[in-house]
Amino acid sequence: MEEQATGATIGGREIPPSPDLARMRGERFARLQEELARQELDGLVLLSSSAVAYAAGLSMPGEDSGRSGIFRPVVVVAKGESAPHVYTAARDGLPPEWPPDHVHGPLFPDLDDGVDDMLMALADHFPTASRLAVDHQTHPMLRALGMYDWCDGRAALAPAKLRKTPDELACIRTAQRISELAMVGAREALRPGVRQSDLSARFLRRAFELGASAGCIDPIWQVMPAWREQGPWTSHGDLAYPTATTDRMLREGDVVWVDAGILWEGYASDYGRTWVTSARNAPSSRQHEQFRRWRHVVDAALRVLRPGVSAAALGRAATEANDGVRPWIEHFYLAHGVGTDSAEMPLVGTDLGPEFDESQVMQPGMVLVLEPVIWDDGAGGYRAEDIVAVTDTGWEPLSGSTYDPFGLEP
Amino acid sequence: MTPALGREANVGTMALEDSARADFERLRRQRRHRLLEAMAVERLDALVLGRAANVRYASGARQLWRAGSAPFGPAAVVVLETRRVHLLSVWDEGVPPEIDHEDLYPLTWNPAHLLAALKAIPGLGRARRVGTDGLTPMFAQHLHEIAPSAELADAKPAFWGARRTKTVDELACLQTAAALAEAALQDLCQRVEPGVSERELLAAYYECIGNLGVPAPPSESVAFATPAHGAVDFCLLARERAIGDGELVVLSPGALYAGYEADVGTTVLAGATPPRGAGRLAERCRRGLDALLDACRPGATGADLFRSWEQTGEPPPPVVLAHGLGLGVEPPVIGLGRGASASVDEGAVLCLQSWVSAEGTGGCLERATVLVAADGAQLLTRRAPFGFSG
Repeated sequence: MEEQATGATIGGREIPPSPDLARMRGERFARLQEELARQELDGLVLLSSSAVAYAAGLSMPGEDSGRSGIFRPVVVVAKGESAPHVYTAARDGLPPEWPPDHVHGPLFPDLDDGVDDMLMALADHFPTASRLAVDHQTHPMLRALGMYDWCDGRAALAPAKLRKTPDELACIRTAQRISELAMVGAREALRPGVRQSDLSARFLRRAFELGASAGCIDPIWQVMPAWREQGPWTSHGDLAYPTATTDRMLREGDVVWVDAGILWEGYASDYGRTWVTSARNAPSSRQHEQFRRWRHVVDAALRVLRPGVSAAALGRAATEANDGVRPWIEHFYLAHGVGTDSAEMPLVGTDLGPEFDESQVMQPGMVLVLEPVIWDDGAGGYRAEDIVAVTDTGWEPLSGSTYDPFGLEP
Repeated sequence: MTPALGREANVGTMALEDSARADFERLRRQRRHRLLEAMAVERLDALVLGRAANVRYASGARQLWRAGSAPFGPAAVVVLETRRVHLLSVWDEGVPPEIDHEDLYPLTWNPAHLLAALKAIPGLGRARRVGTDGLTPMFAQHLHEIAPSAELADAKPAFWGARRTKTVDELACLQTAAALAEAALQDLCQRVEPGVSERELLAAYYECIGNLGVPAPPSESVAFATPAHGAVDFCLLARERAIGDGELVVLSPGALYAGYEADVGTTVLAGATPPRGAGRLAERCRRGLDALLDACRPGATGADLFRSWEQTGEPPPPVVLAHGLGLGVEPPVIGLGRGASASVDEGAVLCLQSWVSAEGTGGCLERATVLVAADGAQLLTRRAPFGFSG
C-alpha cells in the first residue's frame, strides 16, 4: 500500500510514504491542547465516532449507529495533560502509547443507570464549574452534569482538524489507494442485470482484503437520468444526489455516479467516478465531452490553488471554466475537506455564502475533495472526485488519475 | 399485545404480489400511531430527532446508511398537534408517500438556514414541551429560538414506549434479518480453517451480506480467533494474522433488513484437533445461553438474568448478557453492571449472548436473537450446532 514520497512539503515537512501513527496521534493531541489553551477551555468530552478517533486514535469496528450509540467509547481530554483518557470496554483498538492509567472501563452516557459512573469519571478530571467543550450530549448527561459550563465541541475540534499533518495526509492517500484498487473489481462486474448491492459486495470485500480498517458509508451507485426532471423531485429543482443503494438492477446504458469511502487508521477515502452500464462499454462522444468539461473545471480550480487563495477564488475559477454556470449541485459544494469525517472543513461553494468563502483562505495541510458536476440536461452528466492536499507551494494529488471508462482521448 | 410468531414465516427480501411478507405501509402507519400515542402520554408536543433509528421509526424514510455515531443534529421533527412528520431531505426518493413535499426541509451547511427552516414548521413554535434524543450546546440555543416557550425534554420515554414491543410487521422484518444473519454465519463457518485471517473472514462477510442484497453491517466484529494459550480477551477488531490450527474461532455476524437487526453467533474450530478442554468450554457456553433463555420471561428484570447467569457458576463476562434489538441495538442493556432493574417485556426482542473462556483452551460465544413471548423466549435465529467437540 505504500506510495512514493514526492517531495511535496507541508510546513517544510515531506508527506511520508507511510505514516508514523504514534507521531500523528501525538501531534493531533498537541493541537487539541493548543485549542484548549487558546479558547480557555478546561477540557473536551467526546462521544461521536470521528471525534473519538481523532482525539485518541482509537480503532473501532464499523457499526450501525444504534449499536455505536450505546456501546460507545468516550474520550476525555484534560487541559495540560499529555494523553487523552479513553473509556471503553474494547481494549484491542487502543494505541499502545497511551499510559495505562489513561485507559478506563466503559461509560454508558446514553443509559440512565450509566450516568453516575460518568459523573464520577468527569469529577476525576474536572472541578465543578469547569468550562468543557462537548460534541454530543445525551439527556442523562444533561440531567446529571449540570455542574459544568458546557460549550460546543465543534469550535474546539474544527480548528485542530482543518490543517492536516503530513502523517494524516499519508493516511488519506492510503485510504484512497485502497478504495481505488477495490473499485477495479466492482467496475469489472458492471453489466446489465447486476444489482447495486452486488457492486457493494465486490467493492467492500476487496477493500477489506486490501486493508481497510472500517466501513463508514453504504457505497452509492446512483443511476442518473438523462433529464433533471426524470430524477426524484427535489426542493430546489436541482439534482437529487446521493440517494441510498438498494438491490436495484442496472440496465443497458445506465449512467452510474459512484461515491464510496472506507476508513484507514481513522481517515476516510472518497471515491467518486461516473460509470456507464453497457454491454459495449463505450461512453458516447457526448459523454466524453462532459468528462472533458469536468476535467477542464477541475484543472481551472487547481491552476489557482495555492496557499493564500480564498475558497471564493476557487469557486470563481471553476464557474468561469464552465461558461459561467455553477458546476456543482445546489445543496453541495465545489469542494469539501476530508479527514476523520468524510466531509469536513474547508468547504467551497456552500450556502454558507460568498462572505464565508472569501474568508476561507487555503493553507498548507488543507485537503480538498474537488467534486464538480457537469450537467447536460437531456444527456445526463458527469461527476467525479479528485483529492488534493494544499502544500507549501501549491498542491499535491492524494487520489489516482484514472477515470475509466473515460479518458482524455475518446 | 404480543404478536405470536404463529406459522413459519416466509422469509426473503423480495416483495411478493400478495404482500405476504412485511406490509410496509402498515408497518409505518402502526409505528407512527404508536409514537404519537406515546408523545401524548409523555406530554410531548413535538420531537426533534437526530438518531438515525428514531428518524427511521418516525418517518419510515429509507436513507443513506452511515456507520458510527454522529453529534446531534435535527434530522426529523414530529409535531403532535398536526400529526405530521417533517424530514431533513432535499428529495423525495426513499421518502414514504404520507410525508408531503412541504414536510421536507433541505440539507444546509448554514445554521441560519436550518434555523429558518425549523421555525417554519407548523406547530413547532407553539410547542410547550419538546423532546429530543440528544443535544449540543449550540442546538440548545437554537431550540430556544425555534420554540421560545418550550421546555426541553427527553424523547426516550416516548420512543421506548413505542419501540419496546414489536408489531407483526416488525417481527417479519426481524425474521428476514435473522435468516440473513444465519446465512452469513453459515458462510463464515465454511471459510474457517487454519491459515485464514480474521480480516479475510470480515471481507467475506461483507461480500456475503452484499450478495444477499443488504451490504450494511450491524457490526464488523464478526470473527475472532481465541488463543489456546494464555489470557483470553474478547476482541472486536479483525486482525491480519493467520488463524492457527486448533484455535477456537468466534463467529458473530448480524444482518439488517429494512433497518431491523438480528444477531447470531457461534464458535467453531479451525483445523481438526480441538484444544484441551474445548468440549467442557462448549458445554459451559451452552449452559450459559440456556440459563439466559430460561430467565428471559415477561415480567423478569435484568436482575433475573444476572442471577440466572451467576447460578451457572460463570464469572461476569466482559460483554453484556442481553440487549434489545429492533431498528438496531436498543435498550434494555443488561450486563457489565447495568440494567439490573430493566424489565423484560412481552413482545420485546433481545439479543442474548453467552461468552465463556478458559486459559489454555480459548473462548466460546453463543448468541441468539429471541422474541419474549407470553410463555418465554422464542428463538428468532436458529441455534447452530457447535463445530467441535472433545
